[in-house]
Amino acid sequence: MTTSIILETPSPTLGLIPENGLSVVHTSPPRVDGLEKVTGSALYAADYSFPGMLYGKILRSKHAHARIVHIDKSKALALEGVKAVITHADAPKELHAGSPAPRVGQMVADQYVLAEKARYFGDGIAAVAAVSEEILEEALHLIEVEYEPLPAVFDMVEAMKPDAPSIHGTERNLVGPPFIIERGDVEEGFAQAETIFEGHYETGRPVPCYMEPNACVCRWDRGGKLTIWSSTQCAFMVRGILSQVLGIPAHDVRVIVEHMGGGFGAKQDLYQHEFVCAILARETRRPVKMEYSRKESFLGGRSRHPIKITLKQGLGKDGLLTAREVRLVSNTGGYASHGLGITAVGCLDIASLYRCEKNLKIEGISVYTNNPIAGAYRGFGAVQAFFALETQIDEMAVASGVDPLDFRLKNIVGDGDLSPSEHHILGDGLAVCLRRGAEEMGWYERKKMGRNNSSPLKRGWGVGTEMHSSGAYPDIEEQSNAIIRMNEDGTVNLIIGMADLGTGTRTMAAQIAAEVLGISLGEIRVIDGDTDVTPFDIGAYASRTTYVGGGAVLKAANHLKKQLLELASERLECPLEDLSLIEGRVFAKNAPNEGIAVRDLVSGEGGRPPRTLIGQGNNEPTVAYSFGAHFAEVEVDTEIGQIKVLQVIAVHEIGRAINPVAVAGQIEGGIQQGIGHALTEDFIIDKKTGRPLNPSFVDYKMPLALDMPKIKTIILEEFPDPSGPFGAKGIGEDPIIPIGPAIGNAVYEATGVRMRELPITPEKFLKAFAET
Amino acid sequence: MRPFDYFEPATLPEAVSLLERFDGRASILAGGTDLLVEIKERIRLPDHVINIKKVPGLDYLSYDPVDGLKIGSLATLHEVETSPVVIEKYAGLYQAARELGSIQVRNRATVAGNICRASPSADTLPPLIADNATIHTFGPDGERSIPMEKFFTGPGKTVLLDGEILTRINVPSPPPNTGKVYLKLGRRAAMELATVGVAVTLTLDGNECRSVRIVLGAVAPTPMRATDAEDILIGKAISENAIEEASQAAKDQCRPISDVRGSADYRREMVRVLTGRALRMSIEAANEGNSPFDISTDQTVD
Ligand SMILES: Cc1cc2nc3c(=O)[nH]c(=O)nc-3n(C[C@H](O)[C@H](O)[C@H](O)COP(=O)(O)OP(=O)(O)OC[C@H]3O[C@@H](n4cnc5c(N)ncnc54)[C@H](O)[C@@H]3O)c2cc1C
Repeated sequence: MTTSIILETPSPTLGLIPENGLSVVHTSPPRVDGLEKVTGSALYAADYSFPGMLYGKILRSKHAHARIVHIDKSKALALEGVKAVITHADAPKELHAGSPAPRVGQMVADQYVLAEKARYFGDGIAAVAAVSEEILEEALHLIEVEYEPLPAVFDMVEAMKPDAPSIHGTERNLVGPPFIIERGDVEEGFAQAETIFEGHYETGRPVPCYMEPNACVCRWDRGGKLTIWSSTQCAFMVRGILSQVLGIPAHDVRVIVEHMGGGFGAKQDLYQHEFVCAILARETRRPVKMEYSRKESFLGGRSRHPIKITLKQGLGKDGLLTAREVRLVSNTGGYASHGLGITAVGCLDIASLYRCEKNLKIEGISVYTNNPIAGAYRGFGAVQAFFALETQIDEMAVASGVDPLDFRLKNIVGDGDLSPSEHHILGDGLAVCLRRGAEEMGWYERKKMGRNNSSPLKRGWGVGTEMHSSGAYPDIEEQSNAIIRMNEDGTVNLIIGMADLGTGTRTMAAQIAAEVLGISLGEIRVIDGDTDVTPFDIGAYASRTTYVGGGAVLKAANHLKKQLLELASERLECPLEDLSLIEGRVFAKNAPNEGIAVRDLVSGEGGRPPRTLIGQGNNEPTVAYSFGAHFAEVEVDTEIGQIKVLQVIAVHEIGRAINPVAVAGQIEGGIQQGIGHALTEDFIIDKKTGRPLNPSFVDYKMPLALDMPKIKTIILEEFPDPSGPFGAKGIGEDPIIPIGPAIGNAVYEATGVRMRELPITPEKFLKAFAET
Repeated sequence: MRPFDYFEPATLPEAVSLLERFDGRASILAGGTDLLVEIKERIRLPDHVINIKKVPGLDYLSYDPVDGLKIGSLATLHEVETSPVVIEKYAGLYQAARELGSIQVRNRATVAGNICRASPSADTLPPLIADNATIHTFGPDGERSIPMEKFFTGPGKTVLLDGEILTRINVPSPPPNTGKVYLKLGRRAAMELATVGVAVTLTLDGNECRSVRIVLGAVAPTPMRATDAEDILIGKAISENAIEEASQAAKDQCRPISDVRGSADYRREMVRVLTGRALRMSIEAANEGNSPFDISTDQTVD
């Protein structure tokens, strides 16, 4: 694979960047924690070990739906080296929602730490602590479980039938009330249409295969305080929910996240081991470590929600959309997790992207089944919704004889139109991305290989677009905080609540602070991932970290800068407005050659005590939108059904790239995962027993280096958002969204076969190909 | 991982006597890329593990025109895929080795281990059987040699007796005008277990097919010869019709199962498509007298 990056910065700066330009922001310095990582000295949760530490492991259900009649732990307890065995009888009877505790309404408290009823194959039903991992393994096999198997249901449509087995005792197995959007009169809209299009679309069950399987270490001190080292995107959520379930106040739970090997959204949830580990450690009075195997990361992890979408749209004579009606059903598995939120986002997203504001009717339903839990995963509901919408838009263009790109440009939302969050959109980002990508690849000039050539190999191009919110507003009231402290030698400790799950958060935060304070990155030490030390933050997700968290850093740094200038104003006897801070020195306007070093302002020389200056930033923005378009070229082997992505041109408008190389990294990684979603990745659950059939990397297939296409990334900064730091908007989730429909649409151009179900496996393709 | 006792015998007889002593509760360790995975996943729980890598003189890979290719039991896949003689004269084996697992796996894994694990999808088996390889063993009753085609009895099962060790694989030298191909069907370019594997070794006499062996992987409990397809071709002039007929015969003869990698129907159809492709490629190679694969480019990420 080869990759290249083009960064295009047009003129409008909206006063968001300093007059004399940027010096640290908008560059791509090495990561501030890069050395630790490449030398292997960076510590991850499972790297922590303590004297006397035990190891813990979860016993997982061998049935997809079963009542636990009895668990006999005596044989396991008798094994030498086993220190504790716990079951539902030993765990707190406190229902929790597994994710964002304090700030959100869309979560359903439906999980116990250990339940009396298994709701999916792999649901944890007991746990062991022992002195070694080898003994643990033997002990797990010695626990005898008596199950009463219950009828189970795996298909989401079946689950809604009145006679379906009930999983949580809710009506028709619904997680909550349907999510409804209604605008205008959809029937009237269809009556105005010249043509009506209706299709069924379905997405698979990919799993976020973060490099670091879930892990944590728990230790209680004598005073009854718990410290947990965990691999989580949301340290404060872990604190909040652990404190609720264990019945101890927040200040008695300390969550530490040092380094992380990815999360992709799934590690927003608290997993069973985080509770179980704390309970085992409390019961044995010894530190306990729990580490998932890769298999457990599949079984007890979080997948994307498989979603079925029925989409109906009307097209007027003038080539404009007249109506859109959507029914979206989402399969959340054995527990709700983010089911309701994902359904809501899917509905809000599919209400937008193409102008159809007048006549719209959307219903979204989230259903329990006895499948493994589906949760948050990069592109939360958007991946599924936009796959359906972007595929049907292509179908409409083809059927009406309009070039798919022209059709999009005519209907796509732009400046002033309604965004998914029902804000007015800022800028024509989508049109700009589409035009720029088309120009780069020569859309109108491209040679169509022709489906009728004699070779079984057919090539074609396709396009997909997306827009995505930076931050989780309106689902969550956004907030981030930062504290920045200048030490007596002029160095800075930047204390942030955000987590760095491997995306480069620390570097981004340090770049923003360095830019404001006119100091070098080397003078900043970022402190993060410790709930006892840092200010509150809801976590790293929703493409929010740079936009919301970076904004808090900007505010904190400006607050500190103000204090520095005030000090300097006294010392230099010069009014504030005549001072400027450049490269670590404060200068007065009338004496540009003198100035005073920042360090001398705080060092406490000449009998003055050293000063500690503290800047504080609290940032509560609403939302901004990033835009993207992907152009993909595929080659389809029509005899064996395999699809190869040859090249991708990815154009993203993100306001400002704080660190362009990090942005391109997100884009390339999103394309890699998106190709997996489109073609090869699917966690397959046996339809009769609910047993996962490929819980390992042997048969769960992510694209690898050799499978990756040539990627050209074009980062546009056309529409900086005033609510983002230096105009920056999010990029984390965007790139995984448009690649899927781009591939599907390219397959259509190459072969004339319209694939409406992901992933497009060789067998599905060949079947459809034979039918056309 | 469950604990086991570990041994490093210095000679083959010592290894054999350890195997005899532990009577079925010991496993031989070569590259370990199959064995250790199986122990970790509790598929196999040996009490004793006998590492044969300290036995000298088993890691050779040699060739002479009379005896052909000799692959010692400790020769790795990496040695095979980088051997000029394998690239030149054993193109099917070369392609199988090159596509097995990843470079990290190939640096450790042995051809002998691939054979003894006897997985229905193992990559080196079809081309070695197509090349009419022979397996040599050493055991309590001395040495044996077994045609590779007769070596496999089921998934994970071979004719090796308790206490027997595979010592060498012998592959005859190919006659002139021979073309060899191995095609592996998988979803990715690397780190794949074959959904279907097809090996063809074919010798031409002018436009006539003097001999052909077609071996299918992953479509039966063991690698299998597509004899019906071979019969259609042998002794006849090469024609597109004959190739298609033979491909269909291979499809009809195979006995695949359905699993997460593919349905039985899909596998059968792929046997047809890939047998056709492999035959065409091997005919082309036999005509040109060289390997059908572009061997100048290495498998590296650019
Ligand atoms: C990540 C990964 C990817 C893989 N990809 C592929 C692939 O694409 N294609 C494929 O075919 N395989 C693949 N494999 C399987 C494996 O690498 C091969 O089968 C390999 O050739 C085994 O060789 P080894 O030396 O590692 O065997 P070991 O694991 O050491 O042994 C395998 C078995 O053979 C026995 N054995 C070994 N040597 C002898 C001997 N001389 N005499 C008697 N018994 C012996 C052992 O007791 C054991 O039962 C993969 C494995 C991994 C871990």
